[in-house]
Amino acid sequence: MPLDTSTYSLALLRVDGRRWNELRRLHAQIRTQDAADGSSYLEMGHTKVMCIVTGPSEQQQQRRGQTSQRDAAAINVNVVIAGFSSVDRKKSGRNDKRIQEIEVTIANALASNLHTHLFPHSSITISLHVLSQDGSLLAALLNATTLALIDAGIPMTDYIAACTAGSTSTYAAGDDSADPLLDLNNQEEQELPFLTVATLGDSDRIAVLVCESRVQVTRLEGMLVVGVDGCKQVKQFLDQVVREKGAEMVREGAVEKSDAMGMVLDE
Amino acid sequence: MASQQILFSPAELAYLHRSLSLKPPIRPDGRAPTQFRPLTAETGILPGTNGSARVHFSDGTEAIVGVKAEIEKTIEAPRAEESKPESNEAASERTRGDWLELAVEIPGQRDDEASTVFLSEMLREALLADKEFAKKLFINRRFHWRLYLDVLLISPPLSYPLPLLSLTTHLALLATRLPRLKSEGDEDPMFDDDWEASTFLYPQEGTATNGSRPPITLLVVAIGDNVIFDPAKEELAVAETALAVSVAEVRRAQKAGDMEVDSKGRELSLLSIRTIDPPSRLTPPGVPHTSNTGSSAFAPTKLQKAGDQETEGVWKAPLGGTKFGVLDGIIQAVLEKGGVADEVLDGLEGVELS
Repeated sequence: MPLDTSTYSLALLRVDGRRWNELRRLHAQIRTQDAADGSSYLEMGHTKVMCIVTGPSEQQQQRRGQTSQRDAAAINVNVVIAGFSSVDRKKSGRNDKRIQEIEVTIANALASNLHTHLFPHSSITISLHVLSQDGSLLAALLNATTLALIDAGIPMTDYIAACTAGSTSTYAAGDDSADPLLDLNNQEEQELPFLTVATLGDSDRIAVLVCESRVQVTRLEGMLVVGVDGCKQVKQFLDQVVREKGAEMVREGAVEKSDAMGMVLDE
Repeated sequence: MASQQILFSPAELAYLHRSLSLKPPIRPDGRAPTQFRPLTAETGILPGTNGSARVHFSDGTEAIVGVKAEIEKTIEAPRAEESKPESNEAASERTRGDWLELAVEIPGQRDDEASTVFLSEMLREALLADKEFAKKLFINRRFHWRLYLDVLLISPPLSYPLPLLSLTTHLALLATRLPRLKSEGDEDPMFDDDWEASTFLYPQEGTATNGSRPPITLLVVAIGDNVIFDPAKEELAVAETALAVSVAEVRRAQKAGDMEVDSKGRELSLLSIRTIDPPSRLTPPGVPHTSNTGSSAFAPTKLQKAGDQETEGVWKAPLGGTKFGVLDGIIQAVLEKGGVADEVLDGLEGVELS
């Protein structure tokens, strides 16, 4: 059993030494690639993803009958999970249902967040590369996408910040007093019920909520509260990354400091 | 190369073709004919792999290669005493091809698309072309390593990504390390679990350095009488011939205290040449002003049938194959001392392997 529940209750420490409400190390870079309109690189613990945004650009050949997108930009999400990303090499085909579901989830979340009506007859292509996976994959992809879209300068209502939340005992244990956990790694995801939650900016508005495991409904509220709280920490982090990059670009003279800029650039 | 759409008009193509067939050619990005795009490279970026590399060209294209190795049981070859040694060798050679799996991922393209498959086969072929590669994967008669190379093109495919992917693969293989074998003979393999003790697939020093190094595949185009290396998209669009030339360095045993080590330079061996169908063949031809009914007051006479003669400054898609002279010139330019392959390998040697 990866997460030995007995040891957890003794020391209240998880397998990787974190407490229940601790996030893993977050590291992110924005504008990692010159050729792309927007790009980012994000690490959540050992989960490492890259995001490249192309567009808004002229719509390519009509694929999959996207004729309905005439008054707004179409969002195409493309997730590539590298064969070397997990411990054992596993090649996932292009038609993997899990990948497709991740793609659809991200596209739907963005469709409601981006101001796509500003770009009719165009398409925004988001390609995500998973270089290493250790849990919280969907959350990492959503966060990387947010950063890359900010880099691309596509107008949106607010940050989408995501993280996962779980519960310390399995569904079968039926333990109602189980503590919620924040930001699960791969080992914990294998064993415990968990959900992925994404919120809009600092608000409590939920943009994405995915739960694929069985869990008692009484535990759900606690998990959700912890997850939303984690999203706020993630949002703070993403915001900091964007601000630092912005300040750096102003310092280097890549962009001019405008009078309308509301924020103070801390040197 | 159907994936690459050419969005140039015949007039633009004619202009590009003329400036590229001048002596010396004027390239759109101002490079010399044999100059590569500047690149940044790093290795060992992914701790979860046996070897990895990331290469970033100055035009923004970027690729990541990860190498993963697994142990596999060798399928029993027919016993040596029963069959002739030749057939045994042939059988082992055939299976060795399967010991390496190479997959190319290009965003927005299906992985079974013809151009992607062609690209990965070209990279794989160069690796297997020297017979020594499979020997490195041999553990004992019953077991061998199986190597998975996953090539990821991160950026959108701005130009034909062959040189980029090849250089990244080269670096990833140089950085690849396999656990040190502790067992002996044909017993079940046992490995040292200390990663610090692991051995490089291509050792950097000691006697084991002899033999071939991982190959690089260069993309070369011929335009007019000029041979141009590492073509950009615009250059490929007017190329008369496009060749993928794979070369590898072969290191020979050198006596200790050989003073000429540095001056001797490297020995290069040509592994394979493949012609690539350049996208220029599918370009629409330009219409000469004289035969254009739309702009000319005179109706075209029968003497000026379109396609009969080449008019200066009017684009016409190149036809026919490659002349031997051109092929010879390309090979010379690649292999000569201080040539392009030498230069590229020199540059890649500067990359720190971790």
